[in-house]
Amino acid sequence: MLELLVSGFAAIFTDPLAISMVFLGVMVGIIFGALPGLTTVAGLSMFLPVTYVMVSHVGLSMLTAIYIGGTSGGLISAILLNMPGTPASIATTFDGAPMAKKGEAGKALGIAVFASLVGTLVGVGVMIFASPVLARLTLKFGPWEYFTVTFFALTLIASLTGKSVIKGLLSALFGMMFATIGLSPVDGTPRYTFGSLQLTSGFHLLVVLVGLYAIREVLLTASSKQEPIKVLKYKMKGLGFGLHDMAGNWINLIRSSLVGLGIGILPGIGGSTSNIIAYSVAKNSSKHPEKYGTGIPDGIIASEASNNGSIGGAMIPLLTLGIPGDGATAILLGGFMLHGMQPGPLLFQQNGDVVYSIFAAMVLGIIFMAVLMWSGMRMFVQVLKVPNHILIPLIVVLCSIGAYALGNRVFDMWGLLLFGFVGLMMAKFKIPAPPFILGFILEYQLELNLRRGLEYSNGNFWDVFTRPISGTFLALTILSMVVTIINNHKASVRELKEKKEGTA
Amino acid sequence: MNSDTKREVQIGIFFLVLATAYIIGTFGISTFTPFGNRGLDSRSIPQLIGLLVIILSIAHIAQVLLREKQVKALLENEQEADTLVCDEDEVACIQPVKGTIIERLDRVFSIKLLLSFVYLTLYIAAYQPVGFIISSTGFLIAESLLLVKKEERKRWRTFIILFSIGASVLIYFIFTRYLTLFLPSGILG
Repeated sequence: MLELLVSGFAAIFTDPLAISMVFLGVMVGIIFGALPGLTTVAGLSMFLPVTYVMVSHVGLSMLTAIYIGGTSGGLISAILLNMPGTPASIATTFDGAPMAKKGEAGKALGIAVFASLVGTLVGVGVMIFASPVLARLTLKFGPWEYFTVTFFALTLIASLTGKSVIKGLLSALFGMMFATIGLSPVDGTPRYTFGSLQLTSGFHLLVVLVGLYAIREVLLTASSKQEPIKVLKYKMKGLGFGLHDMAGNWINLIRSSLVGLGIGILPGIGGSTSNIIAYSVAKNSSKHPEKYGTGIPDGIIASEASNNGSIGGAMIPLLTLGIPGDGATAILLGGFMLHGMQPGPLLFQQNGDVVYSIFAAMVLGIIFMAVLMWSGMRMFVQVLKVPNHILIPLIVVLCSIGAYALGNRVFDMWGLLLFGFVGLMMAKFKIPAPPFILGFILEYQLELNLRRGLEYSNGNFWDVFTRPISGTFLALTILSMVVTIINNHKASVRELKEKKEGTA
Repeated sequence: MNSDTKREVQIGIFFLVLATAYIIGTFGISTFTPFGNRGLDSRSIPQLIGLLVIILSIAHIAQVLLREKQVKALLENEQEADTLVCDEDEVACIQPVKGTIIERLDRVFSIKLLLSFVYLTLYIAAYQPVGFIISSTGFLIAESLLLVKKEERKRWRTFIILFSIGASVLIYFIFTRYLTLFLPSGILG
């Protein structure tokens, strides 16, 4: 492992193209993260076609750099505009904006960048050392184990996103329906192709992802009210803060990074949830919880350390099992596949060199992120002023290139439009999108392993219960569903009671 | 039935209809079991998915109606508030109001959103036959002018036109020359 890690670092740190692409990626990511309404996913979708012709380790390094930059960039608008640039920075606004209003914007920015740096380092550090170990463990998986892990991930995401478990499950099954279009696993029988040759290969993962996330995102931003942006004034000397500002916050910093890491590992809920959970954990364990929300560094540290900690967390299931942790890692999964690699246990064996190069690129990305944010804040603040009416059409054009270039066919562009529409409808009817994406991604694995498992066991499904790993995951699936249903029921009863008290 | 319940019931009905059609579609899938039937063929999983969707959509409708009943029992004497349905971003709203067709339409879906969809459709349709440069320039100009505020449109017009032409040409050359991707040249080719 150490040998591969060293060669990975050598491959990135001695390659000027890789270094410049990581630099560019981080910069693009920060810009997309900072612009309210546009997220990391839009940035990744826009720059995906640029990586098509790059060698795999450079292209994927650039994408991961965008991911790092995008997660951190949200802090700029959260502090200076009181608007989270991405959902991962929602909790940063709670204390960041009040600090800026008190004239401490420079300090708030400096502390937020530092917390982002530590959070990302903790997450990526754990990822570097835990992923190969987990990958070795998953090598022992047979079809039943894969089937139950995938099933567990699907039910987990369906129950964790949104308020209704049923709607989450319906969303996952809806995604699975689209995934069954094309040739079936095992025997390659055409399904739902209606005689169309283009439908035989089904919808490409990237078409679904870019349509559902990026096209929907830009269309919603396009149709929302465009308020003139008022950037709060700030002064930032050096790092913007001193060590005394961190007093009493070191435990908060590490704990929040670990909260982010843990939540990032769970499928579907990355930085967008971890920042809020880490904020409330920090507040509940603070000696002065009443000060939270009034403009103290503690809140900023909790939010930024956790959302960045989720980066490494979300990468772990992606690399070891091929299960993406959030929208951005789902695009990364598409990026891996475009470069002829299938994330999962065999990735470390077959493409270990590329994986370790990506690890090195992530470390480099973290350094670039901190340096760029500390030294180039003025430039990023200027970018906030770029009007949406220039940016949004440009993103659509670049996303369209990405879709078209997948197979040089307009069919994939129609797919973008279709899934953009599906995404909009899901947003309108409050159906969570992450289960849909995971359902679409995992259907093939789920079906393939279920059918293989049944073939190996001569049609005996009960084998799944008798094997320790698959049995454990099935038990976890049932447990997570039961716990979620009970919690939802409790919340519903509580809501009814509150209404009753309100009317009394 | 309040507007939230209506929306949730609509979701249930949509999935119910979709799943029924989906299951009917499975009968058109041919099956192939060369090693004997060991439980599943290429039709089984879609049938299972369809069946689960039917069960879940019925459960969803039942749950929503039951909840509505409970809330109604609680708020028996309360008058229902105005029926305004808005999504989280207040992009799509429904309100029973009078006004011109455009005004009504704008409340259901933002006109900008609908026009963006139309422009995107036209862009995709023109992509191959007209070519990347012309179709992209047209899309960039139309979409940018749509998104810019009415009162600022005049000020931005020249910049948008020049920027759209420049950006389309630059993107075309970067992608075709340096990134070796194929983009349709259309009538300019």
